[in-house]
Amino acid sequence: MIILGSNSEVAQAFVEECLAKGEKFQTIYLLSSNPETTEKFAGHIQVKFFQHSEIIPLDLMNDIDYKTLENINSDVLFCATGYLGLGTEEGLYDDENTERIIDVNYAKLVPVLNFFAKRMESKRSGTMIVLSSVAGERGRQSNFIYGSAKAALTAYLSGLRNYLFDKKVHVLTVKPGFMDTKMTEGLPLNPALTAGPKKAAEGIYKAFKNKKDVAYVLPIWAIVMFIIRNIPEFIFKKLKL
Amino acid sequence: MKPNFIQKVTNWGNFPVVEKEMKSEDSVSKIKQFVKDHNEVIARGNGRCYGDASLGEHIFSTKRLNKFISFDRLNGVIECEAGVLLSEVLDISVPQGYFLYVTPGTKYISVGGAIASDVHGKNHHAEGCFSEYVIEFKLIDENSEVLICSREENADKFWATIGGMGLTGIILSAKFKLKNIESAYIKQESIKAENLDEVFRLFDESEDWTYNVAWIDCFQKGKNLGRSILMRGEHALKAELPVNLQKKTLKLKEKPKPKIPFYFPGFVLNSLSIKIFNFLYYNKQTKKQLNNFIDYETFFYPLDVINDWNKIYGKSGFIQYQMVIPKENGKEGMRQILDTIAKSGNGSFLAVLKLFGKNNPQAYNSFPVEGYTLALDFKVNKGLRKLVDQLDTIVENFGGRIYLTKDSMSRSSLTNYLQNVDSSKFVSLQHKRIINNG
Ligand SMILES: Cc1cc2nc3c(=O)[nH]c(=O)nc-3n(C[C@H](O)[C@H](O)[C@H](O)COP(=O)(O)OP(=O)(O)OC[C@H]3O[C@@H](n4cnc5c(N)ncnc54)[C@H](O)[C@@H]3O)c2cc1C
Repeated sequence: MIILGSNSEVAQAFVEECLAKGEKFQTIYLLSSNPETTEKFAGHIQVKFFQHSEIIPLDLMNDIDYKTLENINSDVLFCATGYLGLGTEEGLYDDENTERIIDVNYAKLVPVLNFFAKRMESKRSGTMIVLSSVAGERGRQSNFIYGSAKAALTAYLSGLRNYLFDKKVHVLTVKPGFMDTKMTEGLPLNPALTAGPKKAAEGIYKAFKNKKDVAYVLPIWAIVMFIIRNIPEFIFKKLKL
Repeated sequence: MKPNFIQKVTNWGNFPVVEKEMKSEDSVSKIKQFVKDHNEVIARGNGRCYGDASLGEHIFSTKRLNKFISFDRLNGVIECEAGVLLSEVLDISVPQGYFLYVTPGTKYISVGGAIASDVHGKNHHAEGCFSEYVIEFKLIDENSEVLICSREENADKFWATIGGMGLTGIILSAKFKLKNIESAYIKQESIKAENLDEVFRLFDESEDWTYNVAWIDCFQKGKNLGRSILMRGEHALKAELPVNLQKKTLKLKEKPKPKIPFYFPGFVLNSLSIKIFNFLYYNKQTKKQLNNFIDYETFFYPLDVINDWNKIYGKSGFIQYQMVIPKENGKEGMRQILDTIAKSGNGSFLAVLKLFGKNNPQAYNSFPVEGYTLALDFKVNKGLRKLVDQLDTIVENFGGRIYLTKDSMSRSSLTNYLQNVDSSKFVSLQHKRIINNG
């Protein structure tokens, strides 16, 4: 299994969920920009599941050294990279913030996903599970730079799914709503709409096994987003969302 | 939306409830920074202490320090971060033939919490406290430095931290020994006792058993005072097990867990319902003595079977009152305590009696001293403070003390026994309360 963004709590919970469910992997490739937490995690799954893993540095903000990715071989890829950045109020006119959000969530990520897509295409097998976001379904005034980058990612994934369909490669787009993770700690989130990493991982694992194309982490989000998508623009523009 | 980290926080008794900053990190450099940046920090594990011990102005939650570091399967030595729960340790150790030397009555506590409270189990008379099996731990001290603490290295910090209730720093990780087991089952004998004299006699007779505990029906008065069931147990050897358990000796089937979905309204747990419960519990066992084999979860963690059972006590919460009375006065002290409770009509759902053996004098901040210990749950209501005060007086008269990890309202003369923990950095609401009262 290949994990992009291995210090993400959801990614780690997903790995644990797979191993707890008895999935077997020769090696788990942990790609991450944060060696400290990733190394701890590698030790953890070794102790807990006897699972061998390899840590490979990957920082989407730097040039990618594709040579380091060459020997990676696996049928499952899980991508949890992402960057929330500053919202509109603090960050809209901060160009560095804007670029970074677009780069990490879309521009610099897509070539890396393509790299692995190509390998799966040539092997005619595999699953790519990629976390996008409900924020990509409609731009809202509070964080539409992030939303737009995720919207681009979602469109990319749906195209990729379409392209890889007859090449026997499956693409699963996951749209988590609010999550109780480091990224959102301290924010006043509505508990009914918020999933912890473990809960999210269980949902994603099910969607993976059932070969779903698009999955929300909590079913309630499908309803929430259905409503948000269908508010007419002339009303939507007046809302403070 | 800017994070402010202010949250409603409360521990297992749902009393008291505070609104304070609570934060969690998994990187040592960020934890160091957190300690540097704040006055009055306190660590919190899984909040299974009942009262205000892990509450403070700036709470550091160890929930993200949840990784295993190593497991030496040959020698039964495990190392993990402080937020790992005992349940997670058991999940990986039991199938390998290892058990915790010391476990409290719930497995949902963190390793850091086990050290900070120096928890005890049903085997204190035989195997002591959790600290006996701790080899070393890492601690962030008030200067934001990481110290390795063991009996040899930084020994002063090692002993002050054990039972030190988080007041010496934040434990980051720990290495400790596990005990060999042949099966995940316990050979159990449960024996009914008519009254206090009989249960004390049974405790004396059971001294050679590793695990001993008695459940008391605290509504009984007069000659039935102290009516109880004593349960004693040993880890079952493979060869002893009945045939139906012999196939998979180290693996238990997963059982579904009922959940308490909401806080029960206050009237559910009145003294009548407790009386009925206690009557049924005592009479469920019809024979004087029952011998059987049960899995370790049923033996050690009967309450963990129901998630969130603390909600039964309603929104106003409950306290657990646990004291120890030195052995020489133990019986008389227990008699007075049970008598006072029976008279107050404030019955306890759960009253657990254990016998502590000799304490380890090096672990000077640990709660246990040789004697009898009783733990009781009381719903928080108007009359409770008066009852606690009456009980405190008895405990004081007999030279006993209160278990800090369950305390939220006892008097400071019974709860101020900690030494070498005074720092301006690590401060809990409990410690402030105790110091201010004293
Ligand atoms: C049903 C039930 C049964 C119980 N039975 C027993 C029993 O039989 N015997 C027994 O001894 N106890 C028992 N307890 C109490 C429990 O074992 C202790 O309160 C334990 O310390 C709780 O651990 P925690 O991880 O929840 O820590 P918390 O409750 O969050 O904290 C407890 C104390 O430890 C400190 N602390 C926690 N983590 C750290 C850390 N990383 N570094 C420094 N300090 C830290 C806190 O500051 C606080 O003072 C029981 C509790 C329950 C709910």
